[in-house]
Amino acid sequence: MDLRIALAGNPNCGKTTLFNELTGSKQHVGNWPGVTVDKKEGTYKKDKDIVILDLPGIYSLSPYSAEEIVARDYIAKERPDALINIVDGTSIERNLYLTLQIMETQVPTVIAINMMDEVEARGDSIDCNKISKMLGVPVVPIVARSGKGIHELMKVAAEVGKKPQKSIMKEIYSSSILDGIEQVKTILDEPQSSDRDWRAIKIVEGDEILLQNLSKDKKEKVDQVISEIEKEIPDVESEIADQRYKYISKIVKAAVKKKHVGHVETKSDKLDKILTNKFLALPLFAVIMYFMFSITFGEKVLFVLPGPGVWLQDLVVNFWEGPLTSFIVNGITSLGASEWAISLVESGILAGLGGVVSFLPQILILFLLMSVLEDSGYMARVAFVMDRIFRKFGLSGRSFIPLLMGFGCSVPAMMATRTLESEKDRRLTLIITPFMSCGAKLPIYLMFAATLFPNSNQTWILFSIYFLGMATAVIVGIILNKTMFKGGESNFIMELPQYRIPTLKSVFIHGWEKVKGFAIKAGTIIFASTVLIWLLSSFSFTLEYLPEEEMNRSIIAQIGKVLQFIFVPLGFGNDWRPVVGTLTGFIAKENIVSTFAVLFNAAEGVADAAMEGAAALPGVADVFTKVSAYSYMAFNLLCMPCFAAVGALRKEMGSLKWTFKAIGIQMAVAYIVAFCINIIGNLLVMIF
Amino acid sequence: MPLSFVKLGETKRIASLKGKDSVKRHLQDIGFNQGEEVKLLSENESGLILLIKGVRIALNRSLAEKIIVE
Repeated sequence: MDLRIALAGNPNCGKTTLFNELTGSKQHVGNWPGVTVDKKEGTYKKDKDIVILDLPGIYSLSPYSAEEIVARDYIAKERPDALINIVDGTSIERNLYLTLQIMETQVPTVIAINMMDEVEARGDSIDCNKISKMLGVPVVPIVARSGKGIHELMKVAAEVGKKPQKSIMKEIYSSSILDGIEQVKTILDEPQSSDRDWRAIKIVEGDEILLQNLSKDKKEKVDQVISEIEKEIPDVESEIADQRYKYISKIVKAAVKKKHVGHVETKSDKLDKILTNKFLALPLFAVIMYFMFSITFGEKVLFVLPGPGVWLQDLVVNFWEGPLTSFIVNGITSLGASEWAISLVESGILAGLGGVVSFLPQILILFLLMSVLEDSGYMARVAFVMDRIFRKFGLSGRSFIPLLMGFGCSVPAMMATRTLESEKDRRLTLIITPFMSCGAKLPIYLMFAATLFPNSNQTWILFSIYFLGMATAVIVGIILNKTMFKGGESNFIMELPQYRIPTLKSVFIHGWEKVKGFAIKAGTIIFASTVLIWLLSSFSFTLEYLPEEEMNRSIIAQIGKVLQFIFVPLGFGNDWRPVVGTLTGFIAKENIVSTFAVLFNAAEGVADAAMEGAAALPGVADVFTKVSAYSYMAFNLLCMPCFAAVGALRKEMGSLKWTFKAIGIQMAVAYIVAFCINIIGNLLVMIF
Repeated sequence: MPLSFVKLGETKRIASLKGKDSVKRHLQDIGFNQGEEVKLLSENESGLILLIKGVRIALNRSLAEKIIVE
């Protein structure tokens, strides 16, 4: 029989760090409250019969947000064989509040006092034996980050379930409250259930969930008991909290020796004075973001140093498109592969996967840097500083990072929404993230700017399209917030962790995990869709293999011809080729340019130049006007993102229904905006 | 007076909490109970950073108005 041991404690007290040390797994740990949002299971490294569960962080057993319900239900209903309550030694008083409530559930508990190294570094000391005596449960000091004391802890935890745990409620609560608890217990009339103490006290506290589940006559009797207590104590709930805190201060007074009386200003306080300062917070954040993005996406860092992200990307792309592609193509050619098979491998699989692989270096670097910011504790401050601005369009400050990352690539941006604690914020952020124009969309604008706006200010064309994306995100955010996501909690309250220097190990684990996940998930989707689009554009409906020049007979061309009427109101429905461009853009947005190059029969080399905005694509100007080109750019910016991003969207939404809703909204927004551009643009052309 | 009126660096005692029950309870769970000392560490456009029970808590102004100090 397996022994199930659960880890519970306040947010950011080191549960997941301990979990990783005990199980050898590599779950995401962040110096940020609320990283674990669901319970996770693993087996103990030293004894495979012990199952360890990592629960989301909670402040009490009265749930406030969704992930807190997960933890409460597990502790009180499913009842693990033993529970390790992790207590952050540096804020022991606040942490013990949860401890008292956990003990009321009568689940066999061991207290692990974590971060003992930091406690000692402050010159403080904690007498674990004294705490153990006053609470009636074993107490073990540990340092989860270095693994110190954790195996002793597991030995104690494996034994703790064998003895019954005594109740210390009598020490904590006043006689009138204890009286009420006893009366509720009699009304509940469940002598066998092991959690009746806990349920009784929660009911006296006025717990909505438990009160709702009572039968009608029991509820009436309970209400009577509570109103009886309320005659003496008007606010029972506050009084209970107060008595708990009073007992805790007794424990702390007896067991914790502080070197300095009162609060000593720590390094974290000093840093916060600067980093969250009224005037400096935003400029400093802008500087940090500048470095993060120029290191990841910039050609140059500080105008001089070569950008490592771009440098690595070039290296990978050159290898992929050069030696690797020619090696594989030559290989299968010499094996006597047919023309269509070579085309499938070269322009289908290798070109499609190349699109994904080319993003890997930048994703790796971006996530390494993000991990540094996250582990240091700075990200929690950013969420707070940005909160006021984001509140205005219905988002929390925590949405800022994912949206900013969207300018690079939507895939990692969407993965970063995981740090948002409210489901509403997460879903809204996921829907509008692709409106931040990603790097792959840039070639489209460059091509159109060179082809249709050769004499205009091209920088303005580019800037206006980026701005259009951001403005749309804000407006859609406001609208959805007033319709679909009405009535969300508007409070912001978050514990700010201490600043810590991130460990190399944890930073690299983060970066690697993210890249691996991206390569696998996106790689499978990209692979399948690439092959599909290749098939559709290389064969006719009679399954005849077509050379590139005859693509207008292909299945995809036929589809384009059927669909093109939809785009007539947007201004580019007069030809099938833009439609096919949009379709191939779903594989990777930069495909639009290469598709155009093929469909408009551009000479070799011209397409590459057009991608960089250095050459016009002949023929494109015959199909588009300036207005319809702008409308087309807007449509492709705002409509469904590429398949890789849709894969990430599906994963982070955690629901197929919501994935389709998001895509539906994006499509509708793209259509409406492009339509408006077409109408207003043509009016302006008529007037001027 | 509400917590939002406290000056930078000042330490005050919590007198009472206002607002919805669920919010009050959450504030209590985090450590904002009656008689507890809070210190205002930092302040910006988004809200306040407080020190309570040795822990730094960031909260927005509308929440700070629900915490009455003396």
